[in-house]
Amino acid sequence: MERVYKKAVGVKKFLNEEYIEVGADDFRDICTYLEKKQGAFRLMFAADERRIDGTFKIYVVFSIHGKDAFAVIVLPLKDALFYPSLTVNIPAAHWYEREIKDLFGLTAERHPDLRRLVLHDAFPAEVYPLRKDHCFKEREWVREKIEDKKIRSYEDKKDTTSQLLSFPTSYSFMQVEGEGIYEIPVGPVHAGIIEPGHFRFSAVGETIFFLEPRLFYTHKGTEKHFEGMSFSEGVKLAERVSGTSSFSHATAYCLAVERMSGIEITEKAKAVRTLLLELERLYNNIGDIGNMCAGTGLAVGYALGAVTKEKLMQLNDRLTGSRYLRGANVIGGVTKDVFQQADDILNTLDIVTKEYKSLMKLLLGTISHVERLENTGRLSKELAQKLGVTGVVARASGINDDIRKAHPHLLYDRLYFEPHTSVRGDVFARMTVRAAEVECSISMIDTLMESGYKGELATAVKDIRPYSHALGYTETPRGSVFYWVMSDEKGRPMRVKLRSPSFCNWPAVPFAVHGNIVPDFPLCNKSFNLSYSGCDM
Amino acid sequence: MIISPEDKAHFVDLQKGIDSIFGRSLRIRQVDAGSCNACEWECTALTNPVYDIQRFGLDFVASPRHADMLLVTGPVSKQMELALRKTYLATPGPRIVLACGDCTVDGGVYKGSYAVTNGVANVIPVDFYIPGCPPSPMRILTGIRKLLAVLIGKQAGEMM
Ligand code: SF4
Repeated sequence: MERVYKKAVGVKKFLNEEYIEVGADDFRDICTYLEKKQGAFRLMFAADERRIDGTFKIYVVFSIHGKDAFAVIVLPLKDALFYPSLTVNIPAAHWYEREIKDLFGLTAERHPDLRRLVLHDAFPAEVYPLRKDHCFKEREWVREKIEDKKIRSYEDKKDTTSQLLSFPTSYSFMQVEGEGIYEIPVGPVHAGIIEPGHFRFSAVGETIFFLEPRLFYTHKGTEKHFEGMSFSEGVKLAERVSGTSSFSHATAYCLAVERMSGIEITEKAKAVRTLLLELERLYNNIGDIGNMCAGTGLAVGYALGAVTKEKLMQLNDRLTGSRYLRGANVIGGVTKDVFQQADDILNTLDIVTKEYKSLMKLLLGTISHVERLENTGRLSKELAQKLGVTGVVARASGINDDIRKAHPHLLYDRLYFEPHTSVRGDVFARMTVRAAEVECSISMIDTLMESGYKGELATAVKDIRPYSHALGYTETPRGSVFYWVMSDEKGRPMRVKLRSPSFCNWPAVPFAVHGNIVPDFPLCNKSFNLSYSGCDM
Repeated sequence: MIISPEDKAHFVDLQKGIDSIFGRSLRIRQVDAGSCNACEWECTALTNPVYDIQRFGLDFVASPRHADMLLVTGPVSKQMELALRKTYLATPGPRIVLACGDCTVDGGVYKGSYAVTNGVANVIPVDFYIPGCPPSPMRILTGIRKLLAVLIGKQAGEMM
């Protein structure tokens, strides 16, 4: 780290976060050095701080290997609207830099691909919604017109469908040329009950040669929307970033605000949060294992998984009044003492454990299922590392990374668990890693239920000092989630950055499906189980 | 007990409604117009063996062209607006639009964000709403039951 400090313009420490300000000339070198030698790239974002010191700032967050510490590289941009791109050396930065370009209008110099990512044609170019001086006028919004006349003629089938169904877009998909290559466009509205996204396959026969996903259809301006709320109202929004990770998102957000304002939550609140995080992981992992069966046509496995998941959802409902554990988190603690329903939890867990075991026995004993999973959708460790993937996907490709271990929070430092990894990197590995995590969650919940915990459910909220900021993080069922919050002069949100695990993992999907057959794409996709809404924000 | 007896009572009405209006088969096309995905999972849960909606003749279909009803979720993000309208157009008439979840009413928690259109009715005509964030599978089912009751009432009115 000496090498980094020597070049730093200023260093500020806050809890386990170290903010290191650097100049534009050293920016790329320092980040590359940190990524290659010292730690893992976690996220990158911009903030409009022109009101404070007249600069935009770029923040790059790294986890330092082997200790609970973050190095945050800060690059202030005074007059320039561009900065040196990291993507050349750190491929994981690819999407972040495109995102910053779309939302702030700050350009990464020498970035290999600066097409728009987050914003589509409904937003004119040169609209940068996350800048502070930007107020979106409705007239700026480009509404694609389908006139009534056209609608009628369409229904009469007199009009050619091409006119309506052509994709009016200035976005150019990458094109693969060669003999026998053809394109299959899919989405954004899909056949199943899933979220919207467009996939452009370039296939040779049945084999996928290249896949380009175009996402962000569900972009809801969440980060900007946080700025219009108070910090405590924001919990509600954080819960609604990604449906099946509601509780983990809310936890990470609350942790960030609590760290920023110096609130110490009680042991009881920590225990409830840890328990609910594991319950969330449990229903997701069991549901996902069942869902993979839908990808191989094993209806009985799908049905069994869905029933077990339903039991856990109903338990959630009885515990917190929400099947998605919403409303259980507040800034400063939790709203429900779920330990009072210990019997219910343990009984349900008993039933679930039995059902889950027989499900796994069925799945692993069904050769037709296992064969479809093996060697399908392989993501090598090397690629996974380069792309900075997280969660089950990373662990199934042999990367031993889990935020619960790397940066212990809540009661995770007291619980015994080992991240499960596999070196296979295929769909089968993603199933077995999930299975191992199910067992791990069950045993963690059992351990948590054994002891009593002291303290109130929630601690009083403190006033928030102007311009303070902090990170909050936890491990969702899909991987690590990060929130970075900053207050303005009145102690209200000035910037809320959220980075969901799906944002890290989506860029890896095209690499995993390369060389697989088109019919295996749903299976690969299910094994990743990424959230569109979480990624699109 | 996964489904309570009171809830089971709803099923009888539901079945009657579907039988009388839709000839025992009501096909639904689900469109996610920028939801947080919890609403979709509740729709998916409807097809699991616990709720098993197929036994009533209800089912989710893969194409709007096969659908009697669109079930829309989400506040309608601006980037999904066009796709939603196209899906609406691709559904043969007479079509019912059922908006599911608080978001669909006025944008819900996302109301006022620069990237949403604040509710489905701003994009396509809506016939019915089911509130909830998300509405549980049972609530969606009772919602559909009420919708059918209204339709039966309308039909009876037209016949008189
Ligand atoms: S109504 Fe609630 S659950 Fe449904 S999409 Fe909106 S935020 Fe999500």
